[in-house]
Amino acid sequence: MTDTDYQRFIPLKAHWFHIMLSLAGGEQHGYGIMQEVLNRTTGKVRLWPATLYGSIKRLIEAELIEESDERPAPELDDARRRYYRLTKLGSCVLDAECDRLQELVRTIRVKQAMVTE
Amino acid sequence: MNFAWMLYRRLAEAFPHEFKLVYGRDVMQLGEDVVEDIAKRHGAAGLIRLIADIAIRVLLEYLSEMRRDMRYAWRGLIKSPGFALVGIISMGLGMGLTTVVFNSKWQVISRDLPAAANARRLVMPEKPVSYYYIEQYRDQKSLFTGVAAFQTGIPFNVTFQGDGNARPERVFGQLVSADYFSVLGVQPQRGRMLSPGLDKPGDAPEVVISDRFWRNRLNSSSDAVGQTLRLNGQPATIVGITPKNFNGALSLNPSELFVPVTAPAALAPELGNEVVHQRNAKEFLAMICLAPGVTTESAEAALDAITRHLDEQDPSAPVRADQSRRVTLLSAGSMVPLPRKLKRVVVGFYVALMGLIMIIACMNLANMLLARGANRRREWAIRLAVGASRFRLVRQMMSEGILLSLLGGIAGFALAYFISMLGSQFMLPTAVPMESDYTLDWSAAVFVFALAVVSGIAFSLAPALRATKGDMTPALKEGSVLQLPGYLRFGLRNLLMVAQVTGSLMLLLITGFLVMGISQVSSIQTKFDAHTMYLLSIDPVRDGYVPEKAQALFEKLPEQLKTVGAVRSVALAAQAPFAIKDEDGTIQLTAEDSRGASRVQISAVEETVGAGYFAALSEPMLAGREFVELDQRTSADGSKTLPVVLNESAARGFFGNGNAIGGRLRDDQQSYQVVGVVHDLRNGIGISQSVIYLPLTQRNFARPPADGMTIMVRSDAGTDVLSGIRREIAFLDPNLTIFNVRTLSDHLELSRSAERFAVNTYGGIGVFGLVLAAIGLAGVTSYAVAQRRKEIGVRMALGARKGQVLGLVLREGAALVCAGTVLGLLGAFGAAKLLSAVTNILVDAFKVGTADPRLLVGAPLLLATLAMLACYLPARRAAQIDPLTAIREE
Repeated sequence: MTDTDYQRFIPLKAHWFHIMLSLAGGEQHGYGIMQEVLNRTTGKVRLWPATLYGSIKRLIEAELIEESDERPAPELDDARRRYYRLTKLGSCVLDAECDRLQELVRTIRVKQAMVTE
Repeated sequence: MNFAWMLYRRLAEAFPHEFKLVYGRDVMQLGEDVVEDIAKRHGAAGLIRLIADIAIRVLLEYLSEMRRDMRYAWRGLIKSPGFALVGIISMGLGMGLTTVVFNSKWQVISRDLPAAANARRLVMPEKPVSYYYIEQYRDQKSLFTGVAAFQTGIPFNVTFQGDGNARPERVFGQLVSADYFSVLGVQPQRGRMLSPGLDKPGDAPEVVISDRFWRNRLNSSSDAVGQTLRLNGQPATIVGITPKNFNGALSLNPSELFVPVTAPAALAPELGNEVVHQRNAKEFLAMICLAPGVTTESAEAALDAITRHLDEQDPSAPVRADQSRRVTLLSAGSMVPLPRKLKRVVVGFYVALMGLIMIIACMNLANMLLARGANRRREWAIRLAVGASRFRLVRQMMSEGILLSLLGGIAGFALAYFISMLGSQFMLPTAVPMESDYTLDWSAAVFVFALAVVSGIAFSLAPALRATKGDMTPALKEGSVLQLPGYLRFGLRNLLMVAQVTGSLMLLLITGFLVMGISQVSSIQTKFDAHTMYLLSIDPVRDGYVPEKAQALFEKLPEQLKTVGAVRSVALAAQAPFAIKDEDGTIQLTAEDSRGASRVQISAVEETVGAGYFAALSEPMLAGREFVELDQRTSADGSKTLPVVLNESAARGFFGNGNAIGGRLRDDQQSYQVVGVVHDLRNGIGISQSVIYLPLTQRNFARPPADGMTIMVRSDAGTDVLSGIRREIAFLDPNLTIFNVRTLSDHLELSRSAERFAVNTYGGIGVFGLVLAAIGLAGVTSYAVAQRRKEIGVRMALGARKGQVLGLVLREGAALVCAGTVLGLLGAFGAAKLLSAVTNILVDAFKVGTADPRLLVGAPLLLATLAMLACYLPARRAAQIDPLTAIREE
């Protein structure tokens, strides 16, 4: 995979980033993604249903995520729902985006320190 | 919450088919899971957000599909460049022409007078009235907020301050009452406008100049206001400058100077004889601003009643018994004021013309898409089978049509731009300069875009529905019989072909009528070499002459000019020969018998000519004599009988086949006696217009027309007499301005340029129509034949010969072409009749055009040949293929 393959997705759209981040821990269904994002951001970011599936559709088209045919343990499985997971490209893109954001945070910290000194 | 949930479900169902197929259930499920939680946590605001989210997403999904459809259509077009090119050319031609018509005609009709705040409320009576009448109109305060008087097309010889030796320039302007600008609602750019409070009779002469005058002739000088100009030799102070683009009312003839009617007669001879105070001097146009809420109809009725009352009170006016309307109001706030009745006709004509061109172009698009749809039935069937919705396929086919249409729109706009560039270089040779604005603006671009989208949608919908209609499964089966639509007498394909032929033939014939008619009517053959006659104009009154001095000059001028070597004859006229006169130049005349009782009343075109006019044109008198110098000394004040010469048509109209010489005629103010009869001199618009030639009199010398007095000098061929003439005129008076110098040949060439322009325009439209028709017919027939390939294969496998197959296809084609031809002929004649009935401008052109057998036989024959050729070529191709291949193909 070349650098340019995933560089074209950087910076990621906010919705895409949240969805991909919640898939970083493993397969997840739509409702699960929504809940995970809500909890992770302490209710600040809510992915509304139509936006969520609109974004999932586009992420699949961009080959960043895919539908997973593996199901979790039967006691945890919700038979009604479809599960999604990151593709290899998706993982690379997420890593790159995280690096970018970390770099940004580092820069902000340095600047803040300069201001407070 | 229940309502929100219901709304959510409805919206979830509205997602595009393909999205719904994959995510519909999930969106619904997730909605159901979260709706309660959202209501609990966020209340009504949360529910609104939920609904808004899904509503926006539905829209976005459709837009995204549309984008993909467009990309798909784009790839499809790139793969078939021939189809794309023909489609773009066809739509481009149609839209380009429509835009030109829209831009040059429609907009000129509907555009408001620039910089006039009251433009929408302005009306003006069609006919001029006297200043006294306008004062009476002004009293109707409940109807009108203001009534101004003006005269337009007034020439001024202008000399600029401090430029003592410069030759004066001839500039056109208006004579206006002091309230003119306030009635129009025009504010000054600099200085002040005229106003009733400030401009009184007897004041020092003042003038308002137009922005153009200020820029072009005063170099935008910052101290222009307060400067003094010399107008016709008299000083006048500039008091203000009009706003940009304002060229006066009736701005088709742009005015650069606005002189108050209170100015002395020496400054403007039009104001001589106390014309402002003469009750029967109908020389002023009224500009009326309607009070808010007053309709044009009620204003017209009120003005008509007032005018009738005033006419009846006037002892000098002849008694008129007629009950017809005396006042017709025009909407004066537009660039070209048209009476409401005529406006409807003109608008109707252009809408019909634009519609016809667009329908032909769009029919082509529809035909081509139909043909393409028929060839791609298998592709559609596969896509339907794997889950595409019919709606989606229809949209995809339509995207192709819309894309073609949009690309055509771009090509069309480019074409329109090119044509308008050509058009703006074209100048009409009129006495008073005339200009029309042909430049394309944003509204033309919006028009093209709207046209492209609407026609793209409208004309690709039917082919798309048609292509995806019915049971598509047979199209999937290898080797099975393709279910072909049965032969329908009134099927879409046949209707399209008939409509195509009808529309094209109508366009071809109507434009043909106009081209033939106009070019035949406007051709002029002089009886001598037109290069040997020079035309010059002088206007001594505007060079500061008093009327008596002007008359003396004109009396000795011809004799003086004849002394120049090689000059054979000299004559004077108030207008150039073979001038085109419209209805304003006609007078109503009544022939009297020997006892003074009236016999026949006809209207005739009036031309004012001097002694030796017909001899100079090598036109022999049919009877009687032509004017001599003595006739020019008569005063035309109504007290004496004026000698007149009639043309043949007028003589026949008044006196039948009897002797016209000595016959008496009269109009409202004057009685005439016929002294001569000449042939009909064709003037380029009518074949048999009645013309009455009046002699030049003192009145004409005292007040020459707007384009000055024309001197016609004929010389021997191959000699240059111009410098000699100039020398002789300078000898008489070195300060006389000579203008409009040209040979008769140049003059005729120029004066017919409007007709030539019309002929070229209509001819161009006709040729474009023909190209479009050819493309369209080829599209229809290739579609028809493509549909029948298999049938043809089967027929040939069963033993049909090529000739028989060709005959079959051609027979059906011929039947459709015949139907289209008959309808087209009827339509064209109907349209010609209708147009002749509503406007007399085109009557003669249509009369000649519709009687031309070359056109009546030629045009349908040409089109039918094209149509049959378009049938023949694909049929031959189909007949040449191996029958087995054709059968196996499906």
